Formats: sequence, structure tokens, C-alpha cells
Amino acid sequence: MLLLALLLLLVAGAVVYLMYARGTFEASQRLVLIADDSEGVAVGMDLTFSGFPIGRVRRIELGADGVARIIIDVPRKDAHWLRVSSVFTLTRGLLGNTSLKAFSGILTDPPLPGGAERKVLIGDATAEIPRLVADARELVRNLTALSAADSPFATSLDNVREVTERLKGPRGALGMLFGNEADAKKLVTALDRTNALLAKVDGLAAKADAQAFGPEGLMLETRAAIVQLNAALTDARGSLKKVDVILEDAQAVAGNARNATADLGALRAEVDSSLRKVERMIDAVNRRWPFARDPELKLP
Amino acid sequence: MTSLLSWQGGLADVGRATVTWFAGWWRIIHFGALILVLALSSSSYAGPNRSVMARHVYLGTAPILLWFTVLSSLISLVIIRIVVVTAVSYGLSQYALEMVVRVLVLELIPLTAAVFVALRCALPNAADIAAMRKRGEFDALAQQGVDPLQREVLPRVGAGMFSALMLAAVSCVVTAVLAYVSVYGFTTGAFVGYTRTFGHVFNPAVSMIFALKTFFFGLAVALIPIASVLYDPPRARLRTSAELQSLVRLFVVILLIEAASLIGNYY
Repeated sequence: MLLLALLLLLVAGAVVYLMYARGTFEASQRLVLIADDSEGVAVGMDLTFSGFPIGRVRRIELGADGVARIIIDVPRKDAHWLRVSSVFTLTRGLLGNTSLKAFSGILTDPPLPGGAERKVLIGDATAEIPRLVADARELVRNLTALSAADSPFATSLDNVREVTERLKGPRGALGMLFGNEADAKKLVTALDRTNALLAKVDGLAAKADAQAFGPEGLMLETRAAIVQLNAALTDARGSLKKVDVILEDAQAVAGNARNATADLGALRAEVDSSLRKVERMIDAVNRRWPFARDPELKLP
Repeated sequence: MTSLLSWQGGLADVGRATVTWFAGWWRIIHFGALILVLALSSSSYAGPNRSVMARHVYLGTAPILLWFTVLSSLISLVIIRIVVVTAVSYGLSQYALEMVVRVLVLELIPLTAAVFVALRCALPNAADIAAMRKRGEFDALAQQGVDPLQREVLPRVGAGMFSALMLAAVSCVVTAVLAYVSVYGFTTGAFVGYTRTFGHVFNPAVSMIFALKTFFFGLAVALIPIASVLYDPPRARLRTSAELQSLVRLFVVILLIEAASLIGNYY
């Protein structure tokens, strides 16, 4: 009897648990999603919100207008996540895994009422495959043309091979650059002559160095000349200072002369006026005096 | 002439074997119908029949319940671990739990419980029945006015069926708990998600197929071995014994039931 009771208990418990798992005991509201193509959607599939399942597909049917109607049961305890502005998507991955998702951007909007119908946005990764295949085919065609025996790429590779062979040749990189022996030889000759010239320049530099910086070199004499110049400049500075003093005196003399000149001007003006007065006086005297001469000249 | 006679003889042998084969299956179905009628009779559970039934049910279930549960739990743990690790390595961990439930609870546990009951309960019961018939106990019961089918066969059939159902139920529950603990650990936070997965797997169609499969497994395990020893005469030309023949027939039936359930679930 105990075993029978245990078996009945297990079976009844399993039945109740399954009914609970299927959502038989929770109140739910209906949501209808309208889709042009419900391929991949199966009864029992979850509707997720932020990764959490909040609804389950109960039925999929074809509407009167030819669109698919996906009927979803949403438990009332989770229905508050769906708002009138919620967006629903049906995405199909590359491996065929289809998922239904809900997004609610504004959670303060009014809640979605029961029985609401919403159009679902469909995203299908496999729809890109034909375009991808066409692009891949085009790419393969281009690669084939590129790698053909008579293509410019093949010709370029041949040229590169020729260049590398020249690099391995006796002249190495020079032979590759000039392409022939004669020109490469010219460069080598030029290099030799340049080396010789540099050697001569070295010698000149050494001599110039001795001339400039040697014991009897220019630098020493220049330094001595500079010392003498400094001394001369110092003397000149002293002379200039004296000249400066003289100039100051001259300036004072000039100032006095200016003042005298100014006085001279006034004196001159007084003298002029005095002389005019004297002249007027003499004229007056001459007019009145019997010694006056007749100034008029009588001509023959 | 000789070749024509041998060809005709061969055809006749094939014909007889086919008829014998069909007759064997018909006898099993007939026996099943008889047992069903007896099981639905209230007299089968009255008086001494009841105590005999209870005794056989206990003897057929209790001794093997505990260690079959332990054995199936150990094997289930290994399989769960393999499935979960493999799924995680392929980045498909979200499907691991569903796969474990489908593979173990839905398919493997009922099958192994049926095979185990067949080997530990049904075949010994069939051997008991054969021995009793050989000793003449059936005839003695009939002379006493007791239906031997009702007194000795029905309790054993009932015990076999009950044992199969009990082992399957207990092991399924233990495996479901082990799957939860293996995947999520000792926490109650994932119970809602686990319940949802369980409900997703066990939709009404799958639940019905699972219940019918387990029932028919128990029925086949309980009926076929006893029916074979009751009705099949030993075939002298074959090297196999009657028990082995019944075992082969039982495995064929189990295979057919399993195939039918898989077709029902996945097609």
C-alpha cells in the first residue's frame, strides 16, 4: 500500500508540477504579434524581455489577410514590462535559431492592454546570404582574373622575380638599380673618385687646421689683433670722453654765442634805428642849411 | 524432381514458420486481453487474491527500487556532466538542460527501468509460472475452483507492471533533481528558469507520449515473458531456450514502442 501511495503521489506531483510549469495556474493576458512570415516560430517558444522569458507562444495561425498571427500568453505578473510603445522583434540567426524579443524604451507609458495586436519587426541573417554569395562569387571571379597567367599581376610577379635574381647577381642592388653593368661600373668609379676627393679634402682640412689653429696660426694672430683692438678701443673711448667734455664746452660757448647773437640782433636793430634817425636829422638839416646842394643833375 | 520437392518443402517450412510467428503474437495479444479483463474485475482484488497481489507487488518492487535508483542516479550524473561540458565547450550551454531532460528523463530512464524490471522481475516470474505449471500446481488450483490465472498469473503481471512504473517514476524524479543541481548548484534562484525549461520540454503531446510509452513498456515487460512460457511450445529445432525467445520478443516490442514514441515526439 505504501508503494502504491508513493507511486500515486509521484505521478500526481509530476502532473501538478507540469501544469505549474506550463503556466496553467497563473493568470495571463493575450498578445497578438502580426508577422509577414512566421517561419521559425514554434508553439511554446518564449517571448523574452531583457533576456528574461515573459511570455509563451500559444498558437500560430494565418489571418484573413494572409499574415501570420502569433498568439502569445503573457502572465499578468510580467505584463507590466510591456507598454503601448513597446517594440517586438522576430530575429532569425544564421543557425536557424529564431527568437522573439520585446523592447520597452519608455517604461512610464501606459501598459499594453490585453488582446493588443502589434506588428513584429523581422530580422533574418540568412536573408543576407544570397547577396553574400553573389559578392563572394564576384570576388572569386576577380581573384581568378587577377591570378591568371597573362594578368598584370602575374607580369608584375615575373618582374619582381627578375629583380630578385638581379639582387642575387654579382652587382647586387646596384645591378638591380641600373639594370646594366656599364652604369653600375660608372657609379662605382664615381664612388672611388669621391673617396679620393674626400681624402684630399681631409688633407686640406688638416693643413687649414694647422694654419688656423696651429702654433703660428691665424687664430692666435687674430686673437692678438683683437687684444690690440680692444686696447685701441679703450683709448678711443677715453679720447671720446674728452671730446665729449670739449663738446660740452663748445655747446656752452655756442649757447653764449647764441645769446650774444640774439643780443647782437637787438643791438643791430637799435643801431639801425639810431642811424635812420641820424640820417633823417641830417636830411632835415641839409634842407634847412644854406650848404644844401641841389641834388638835381642837369645834363648837357 | 528432387529439387522441386525440396523447393516446395522449403516454402512449406517458411509458411509454417510465418503462421507460427503470427500465432505467437496473437496468443500474446489474447493473453493481454485476458489479463486486462481480470485486472478490471473486482474479484481479483478480493480476499486472498488481494494479499497475493500485494505480496508480489512488494517483492517485485522493494528489493530493487533502492539500488536501481542509486545506479540510475550515478549513470545519470555521468551523462549530465558529459552533456553539459560538451554543450558549454560549443557555446551552447543554454540548450544543455533541455537536452539532459529530453535524453534522460524522457527516453533513457523509462527504457532502462523497463529492461531492468524485465531482467530482475518479469523473467523470474515467468520462470516461476513455468515451474508451477510443470509441477501441476495450476491443475491443482483449477481442481480447487481457483482460477490460476487470477491467483498466480495476474499478481505477477501486476507486479511487473507496477515495478516498471515505480522504478521509472522514482528515477525520473531523482534524475530531474540531479540535473538541476548539476547545472545550477545548490541554489533556488534558478528554479523558475528550470521549471520553464521543464514545461517547454513537456508540452501536452510529449507528456502524453511519455505516459503512454512508460505504460506500454510496463505492459510489455509484464506480459510477454509470462505469455511466452504459458503458450509457446519449445521449438526443438532452434538452439535457443524459451526464456531467450521471450526475451528477444520483449526487446523487439520495447524497440517498437521506443521508435513509435520518437516518431511521435520528433516528427
